[in-house]
Amino acid sequence: MNIAISTRPGRSATFDLVRRLPEYLTIWVPLLLSAAHLIAFSLWTIWISFTPSTLVPVSGWVGLRNYSAVAASRNWQIALDNLLLFGSAFVLLSLATGLILAILLDQRIRGENLLRSIFLYPLAVSFVVTGTVWSWLLNPGLGIQKLVHDLGWTSFRFDWLIDRDMAIWTIVIAAIWQSSGFAMALFLAGLRSVDADLIKAAQIDGAGPIRMYRRVILPTLWPITITVIVIQLQFAISTFDLVRALTNGGPGIATQLPALVVYDLMFQRSLLGRGAAAAVLMLLILLAVLLPYAAWRYVQRRQAIHA
Amino acid sequence: MPITTTRRRLLAGSAAALALPAFARAQGAIKPRLTAISQWSAGSDGAAITALGKKFDEKGGIWQHSPVPGFTTEMMNKLRAQIMAGDPPACSQLKGPEIAAWSKIAPTVDLDAVVAAAGYEKVVAPDLAKLHKPGGKWIALPLQIYSTNMLFLSKRAMDKAKADKIPVTWAEFNDLAEKMKAGGVPYPIANGGTRPDDGQKFEAALAGISPTAYRAAIMNLDKKALEGPEIKAAFVQVRKIADWMDPNVGAQHFSTNLKRFVDGDMGMMIMGGWAQGVLRNAGFKFDDFIIAPGPSDNSKPVFLLNADAFIFWQRKEPDLQAGQTLMAQLVMDPAIQTMYSQITGSIPVRTDVDLSGEGWSDGQRRTATALKDAIASNQAVLSLAHNMAQENGMTAAMIDVITEYVKNKTIKPEQAVTRLAEAVEGAR
Repeated sequence: MNIAISTRPGRSATFDLVRRLPEYLTIWVPLLLSAAHLIAFSLWTIWISFTPSTLVPVSGWVGLRNYSAVAASRNWQIALDNLLLFGSAFVLLSLATGLILAILLDQRIRGENLLRSIFLYPLAVSFVVTGTVWSWLLNPGLGIQKLVHDLGWTSFRFDWLIDRDMAIWTIVIAAIWQSSGFAMALFLAGLRSVDADLIKAAQIDGAGPIRMYRRVILPTLWPITITVIVIQLQFAISTFDLVRALTNGGPGIATQLPALVVYDLMFQRSLLGRGAAAAVLMLLILLAVLLPYAAWRYVQRRQAIHA
Repeated sequence: MPITTTRRRLLAGSAAALALPAFARAQGAIKPRLTAISQWSAGSDGAAITALGKKFDEKGGIWQHSPVPGFTTEMMNKLRAQIMAGDPPACSQLKGPEIAAWSKIAPTVDLDAVVAAAGYEKVVAPDLAKLHKPGGKWIALPLQIYSTNMLFLSKRAMDKAKADKIPVTWAEFNDLAEKMKAGGVPYPIANGGTRPDDGQKFEAALAGISPTAYRAAIMNLDKKALEGPEIKAAFVQVRKIADWMDPNVGAQHFSTNLKRFVDGDMGMMIMGGWAQGVLRNAGFKFDDFIIAPGPSDNSKPVFLLNADAFIFWQRKEPDLQAGQTLMAQLVMDPAIQTMYSQITGSIPVRTDVDLSGEGWSDGQRRTATALKDAIASNQAVLSLAHNMAQENGMTAAMIDVITEYVKNKTIKPEQAVTRLAEAVEGAR
């Protein structure tokens, strides 16, 4: 090939471009379009957040007034507290569940494929369905509590869904059910890619299974762990449909989350400016997660090149 | 063959006969056309607006309705997009103070002449009329009315309580609830727990305690009235209602509990007139429940108005303008209002429609009488929970406080009063 091209200098570059044009078109046009969309609408939202827009976007400048109104509102404060609790509990617990499932599946057991599909299956269900099903399961009058009562244990209580202090945990439960399979799949792939020589060497040195996992296998998993954390965190920050179907922010306004507040301000209260300000605040929270991750990836790559 | 010819001729003849008056009305070639958007696509709402469209077609018009199913907010998003694109529908569903708010973002049609020609103003509740003429001119027309504070009583629960008297005041209501509880009704109240449901409990309580205070505090946002003793009394009553409810309702829709209500495991429900339609659709009979006006401490009915309406957007096209006039005439027509309300279970906007005939239920008759009496004693007020009293932003801020109070029993009534006043200040 190289020889063929070099015999016809001058044409090769153009020829190459023409030949690969369909590839460039399929990749770059959609990429640029979606990037332009994303950036344009983000900029538009940022601009709206500084205007007095209510029903429709209007021009004008109100400075940070929308931001201070959002930050002072009870809904937003509750949403932030909930995000902190939900985000950390959900990420840690789904990480732990996913890792345990992955380690158990890694024991060369029979029916692994079937089990893996079962654990991954919730991921294929839409969040609205997850939320609705769990809202029935967790409802004390219909679901688990009633089942246990009917079985005879009448003092059993499991009414988190209607308890405003515990309701946020029902969202954690449903979210873990939905997405720990995803963590499991990534961890399982990581476990399988651990160098067999390393494991053999550890075995020769007389390491037991627990020691093996703790000292040899798990340390190699930490890049995957960080990836899982980042993906789950950005999911946690943008959670909307799950809460909407499960508690709809209730009881009262106890399970508000930032995305619900944005939707509520923009579309239910017709306060576009404030809704945009809340959306920009959400974007900033997301960036606070994603930027360190990007920096970490950059450092990793530099180190890999130098090595 | 001869038969076919006759049939064809007959068809052609009748088509011409039908078309003639339409042409005459439209003065030549213009055929009235109406583009409309609403959220009514299914159930009795969908059936009612389809029937209205058929009437529009019969009058020689072209009916172009694009329903946006789902929440009202989705319909509003479509309306917003169309207005911003400079292509508003000739008319669209919109209600309450949102009519005034939206009329500021795009020009609307002045309906004064058509309304005056129909002599409509004197048969509409004054507070309701005001909402539809924000700048002093009619730009929108109400279509049907519901009361949000009807009292539904379960016959079986009444039997358990050995009671047969319909409670009129809140004191009687509370007595009956106690009696039901003592008589073996586990939950004397059968409401759900959604935001509007919580809001309805509060507005029914306050308006029943004092319609004057309701008007001042909720409709006019008077600062002193908002901190007045009636508001606190209303919160006290709401807590009582909440305590009599099944705590497991969470954020459930009221319809979830209807079976238990009819079975007598739940006793009373404060709900809009639409619950009658829901009960009937669920297969329950009129003997299963009683409908009465919501409790009122001065014994005269208090009517919390909720009205669906159409707003008319300015268009240059002569056929759309002709369509708007025709639509306005239809919406004000007593026969059309009768047809519409009989399908949906609401009551007509016109207070001069006779509901004694067939096709109306006792509940609808009682609701219509309550409206007439309430207007006479100046006790017809606008619903907060259903976005009639305030714009959506203010409503949401107030409902936040109410729904939190219903769900969180550690909040004291006096705290709720302060929070409500603060929420109003914050949303002003």
